[in-house]
Amino acid sequence: MAVRSFQARLLYLLIAILVLLDAGTLISVYFAGQRTLRNTVADQLRVGSRVLNRILDTRARQLSDSLRVLALDFAFREAVASADVPTITSVLANHGSRISADAVVLVNLNGVVTADTLGGRLSGKPFPFAALLRDAQNHGEASAMVSFANRPYQFVLVPVLAPRPIAWVCAGFEIDERVLTDVRRLTHLDIAIWSSSAGPQLAPDESKYATLEQPLPTGDGSQVNALLASNLEEAQKPFRKLELQIFALSTIVLIVAVFAAVIFARSVSQPLRVLAEGAGRVERGDYVTPIVVEQEDEIGHLATAFNQMQSAIATREDEIRYQATHDALTGLPNRTLFLDRLSYAIAGAKRSTGSAVGGPSVGMIMMDVDRFKEINDTLGHQVGDQLLIDIGRRLEHTLRQSDTVARLGGDEFAVMFMAPTFKHAEEVAARIVGAFDAPIILGDVSIDVNASLGIALYPAHADDAGTLMRHADIAMYDAKREHSGIAVYEPGRDEHTLRRLSLIMDLRQAIVRDELELYFQPKADVRSERVGHAEALVRWNHPRHGVMRPDEFIPLAEQSGKIGLITKWVIRKAIAQCAQWRREGLDLAVAVNLSALDLFDSELPVFISGLLTEAGLPPASIVLEITESAVMKDAAFAQKMLADLKRRGVCLAIDDFGTGYSSLAHLKRLPVDELKIDKSFVLNLTETAADDLVIVRSTIELGHNMGLVVIAEGVETAESWAILKRLGCDMAQGYFMTKPLPAEAFKAWLQASRWGSSAR
Amino acid sequence: MKVTVRLIAAVLAAAIAAPLAAATIEARVTDPRGNPVHDAVVYAIPDGRTLPLAKKSAVMDQKNRMFIPHVLPVQAGTAVRFPNSDDIRHQVYSFSPAKTFQLPLYAGTPATPLVFDKAGVVVLGCNIHDQMSAFIIVVETPYFDKTAADGRASLGGLESGRYTLHVWYPDMRTEPQPQNVTVKSDERMTVSFVGHGRS
Repeated sequence: MAVRSFQARLLYLLIAILVLLDAGTLISVYFAGQRTLRNTVADQLRVGSRVLNRILDTRARQLSDSLRVLALDFAFREAVASADVPTITSVLANHGSRISADAVVLVNLNGVVTADTLGGRLSGKPFPFAALLRDAQNHGEASAMVSFANRPYQFVLVPVLAPRPIAWVCAGFEIDERVLTDVRRLTHLDIAIWSSSAGPQLAPDESKYATLEQPLPTGDGSQVNALLASNLEEAQKPFRKLELQIFALSTIVLIVAVFAAVIFARSVSQPLRVLAEGAGRVERGDYVTPIVVEQEDEIGHLATAFNQMQSAIATREDEIRYQATHDALTGLPNRTLFLDRLSYAIAGAKRSTGSAVGGPSVGMIMMDVDRFKEINDTLGHQVGDQLLIDIGRRLEHTLRQSDTVARLGGDEFAVMFMAPTFKHAEEVAARIVGAFDAPIILGDVSIDVNASLGIALYPAHADDAGTLMRHADIAMYDAKREHSGIAVYEPGRDEHTLRRLSLIMDLRQAIVRDELELYFQPKADVRSERVGHAEALVRWNHPRHGVMRPDEFIPLAEQSGKIGLITKWVIRKAIAQCAQWRREGLDLAVAVNLSALDLFDSELPVFISGLLTEAGLPPASIVLEITESAVMKDAAFAQKMLADLKRRGVCLAIDDFGTGYSSLAHLKRLPVDELKIDKSFVLNLTETAADDLVIVRSTIELGHNMGLVVIAEGVETAESWAILKRLGCDMAQGYFMTKPLPAEAFKAWLQASRWGSSAR
Repeated sequence: MKVTVRLIAAVLAAAIAAPLAAATIEARVTDPRGNPVHDAVVYAIPDGRTLPLAKKSAVMDQKNRMFIPHVLPVQAGTAVRFPNSDDIRHQVYSFSPAKTFQLPLYAGTPATPLVFDKAGVVVLGCNIHDQMSAFIIVVETPYFDKTAADGRASLGGLESGRYTLHVWYPDMRTEPQPQNVTVKSDERMTVSFVGHGRS
């Protein structure tokens, strides 16, 4: 966790600094102590060396003085003068013992030993320490350190005066333990003195002793060394004590400092942890609980800033949530929120009852304002927007507080309410429609609002909010299409819609997969009762749905923009078939239906001319049938288009005449050749069906008056055929002759039937 | 210090009028630097003749803690008295082979003098005053003298004949080489010695 590691890091850093400081102090004290110790010990050894030399000098002088006094003893001199060696030897021993000499030697003035106390070992030989003797001859006396019998000795030499020198007496004193003890007592050093031939007597451990080895001046060139040794452990004692004290002191300081550091680190990290927890609460969406840090320092300011930020975030989140769930224009809930509430309501309904039957139901109405685009375009967006706002208000006023009114986008509104029954739902819808009975007045404009309402209910129509909305939507489109104002969702409509979508997808592949096929239905001349034309009708051999009629998929092709491809395919196939029949001796013109959208394809006339030329057919071999409503879509452009086709010699027909609202004046301007009466007038045509009879008769008369060929569709009975013949209709088409047939079957039928015998 | 002795002798025969037919030897003793040596004893031993012991006497006084004279040449057989002129006692002794003796602490003059009948140097000391020393030079000839401060000594009344001339003085390292001389009556001869050692 970051906070803990920060505290730990802070703590570690502080402790590390303190430990380093302590360690540094201890190390420097240690090294300073060692340095001082070394210097001290070295000084001690040097001083010890000087003390040793001084002691030896002093001893030499004292010995010399003693010997001098001895040599002046009259009896001694008398004995020496006697020249009697045994006497002399005894007096040497006797007097030598007075001064504690270890050896006494008498030397004559020629440097030859006369007598000694060493059992005559030296007698008769030259004095072994010639340099000592020379020194004495020059200075009256001499003393020196010598190595004698492998032991260090101090030898002193003085003359025997009577009163003139008559001989030299020499006394040797071994440097024994007493001397060394003196030195030790004075210097606190260990000491050893040895003659080099004997080797060192003291071999101190180098790690425990500091030593100084020093050659001592000797009178005979022999090697006498002194070794001074200082016991380091002893010398180090005060330093050890000092180090221990400093260590103890710094340990105490360290402990105190660590405690202080812990407290300090905590005082920093604790509020940080509080801040982190506060930030965590904000992250979880808690904008209420404030962060409490009772400090006036930077962290306290930070906590205050945190709290301010918290409330600012809360405010902004509210705003964002509102914007996300509400429509900016009307202030009503938007689609998201509506879906939420719908889901919530459905979930609540599901909870309150185990079974859907008879339980509480949730109703919704999808509402679309009719002709809103026209209003918007005509009166401007501002008016349109204001209208939407007013519609929203009226909806809200119409409904209960607990119901939800939402704007889903554009001119689409939705209402949700708790509806115990269908009847109740329809009442709500009726109330909404009633709310718009009075026009909405915007400034000086009065607008009549008509709306289409689609009702869908849970659980009857859907089990979830999304499906319920889609079904309400479908119902609304039904209402719009049927101009009924209100429609309730019909079960199954949804599947129909899905099938449509699926077919649109399949249609893309239909031409490529060669699933389309042309069927032909004959048009017979009424008077001659012979077939002159064949209308080409496209069939779709759908792999799953089987053979489909044009009215099932042509509207889909129009919607999905595939109609152009299908039309061209039909024209190409129809012309090819026509050419084939002509080669086979059947002189037939083929009729092809054009969609309203085909009239906007300006390349179509060239395309058709090209195909006819290619096939070697006269232009009149093809009849293009255009519905009345298609012509009415864009009359001016359609007129130009038709004129172009007409100029190319193509025969033109108005299809389904009587269902549209075309004006006669308009019709008069169209360059068409034929008029096809819609089959709805013909199917039930009997002598007793007065209305249809009137319409058919007057249409035939109208057509003839305008110089057009009139064709009746949907002729199924002999009676209707007879009526048409009586009314003077030019051509007829329908099951009375035959249903549409594939090309081969059509040819066979034609050659076998009475209709085909008089082919041109 | 190593001592070398070099003797340079120049013998000058000088005919100096000597009415009693006695010859005289004038001797001069110097140290190597040419400084005169004081209290040097010069004596002549006649060749081939023995001379009778002298019945002479001499005095070695002690005054102010000093022996006076410092150097006393005597002919063998001479009796020397040792008066004590100080008001303190002295104990005179000699360990010299020529005459070993000891005069116990005494004041005044001892009753009997000591006869020095053996040639040699007798070193005198006082046992209670170490700094006191003196020399009695016992020679077997009546012909001897002691140099004065100018380093000169004079041996007079010599019979004609051959002599060996010796020199001794305190602190000398080695006795200078004796010189053989022949003197004739009335002859005055001058002999020089150069000694090595302190004067």
